[in-house]
Amino acid sequence: MSDIRIDEVNVKLLRMLQNDARTSFKDIANECNVSLDTIKNRFNNLKKNGVIRGSTIVIDPKKMGQGNLVIIGIQVVQQFSESVLNMIKKMQGLCFVTKSIGQYDIEAIFLLKDIEQIGITKEKIENFPQVKVADVGIFVDRPLLCPKNFEFE
Amino acid sequence: MYMKLDKIDFTILEMLTKDARTSFREIARRLQVSPDTISKRFEKLKKEGVIVDSTVIIDPRKIGYSFTARFGIDVKPTYSSQALEEIIKIPSVIVASKLVGKYDLISIIVVKSFQHLCELRENILEMPYIEKVETGMWINTMKLCPHYFLI
Repeated sequence: MSDIRIDEVNVKLLRMLQNDARTSFKDIANECNVSLDTIKNRFNNLKKNGVIRGSTIVIDPKKMGQGNLVIIGIQVVQQFSESVLNMIKKMQGLCFVTKSIGQYDIEAIFLLKDIEQIGITKEKIENFPQVKVADVGIFVDRPLLCPKNFEFE
Repeated sequence: MYMKLDKIDFTILEMLTKDARTSFREIARRLQVSPDTISKRFEKLKKEGVIVDSTVIIDPRKIGYSFTARFGIDVKPTYSSQALEEIIKIPSVIVASKLVGKYDLISIIVVKSFQHLCELRENILEMPYIEKVETGMWINTMKLCPHYFLI
């Protein structure tokens, strides 16, 4: 656990930036009734302590013609999750991969252009000798992203 | 169908994806155009829905969460939109989407403890139209950033 105290000012600061990362520090300072310098310091501290890892814009992949997000749940022959994981990390279109406890041993999320690419990717994974099952789920529309739903202690 | 994007648009998207707080002046300097041009392009990208939103990326572990999990959810036929709307409102749900394939809906959640995970699962099971909730607990090997999902 971190030492950083998430007090009222920090919660407001984080909430406002979660809603719009480009909110000016001046607006946040006004909202919190503190000085601009306080907000600047708080922001820098939250970054330094790793609470804020960065900021980003959310882009609609469909508007850019980039295709569909696909989640693939993979069951692996015992003990081989590490090597399968490493092979998947090298695959094209990968956004995210993790080991998992539950029905699947590995879960990976890909951004793939079309159905053909989805088929090729699934087949490629199934062709790894240590893979038993690769189940595909295609995200419909843009996933709803709700970073607001973090509760602060 | 797609908005035609040029070098200026791509540079804006690229720089803001890395750091959403990058000033328009800095982007303008890189492209050798006026900050005003960047500002106008930014507004246009938002209006056209290319840029949907911006957010800070928070490390869930630093604010009391211990791991990430994925729910695969089966819903009574034709009720997936209603169920999705309710699910995204649950605190701790950070991503939710309709799915074609193995499940009807998927949601990614941040979890404080096993107790918390069970409560979340039961909450969803008690909702109308929900038929089945399957869980995968993610042992994080990569950092989860919203932009991994949404580029």
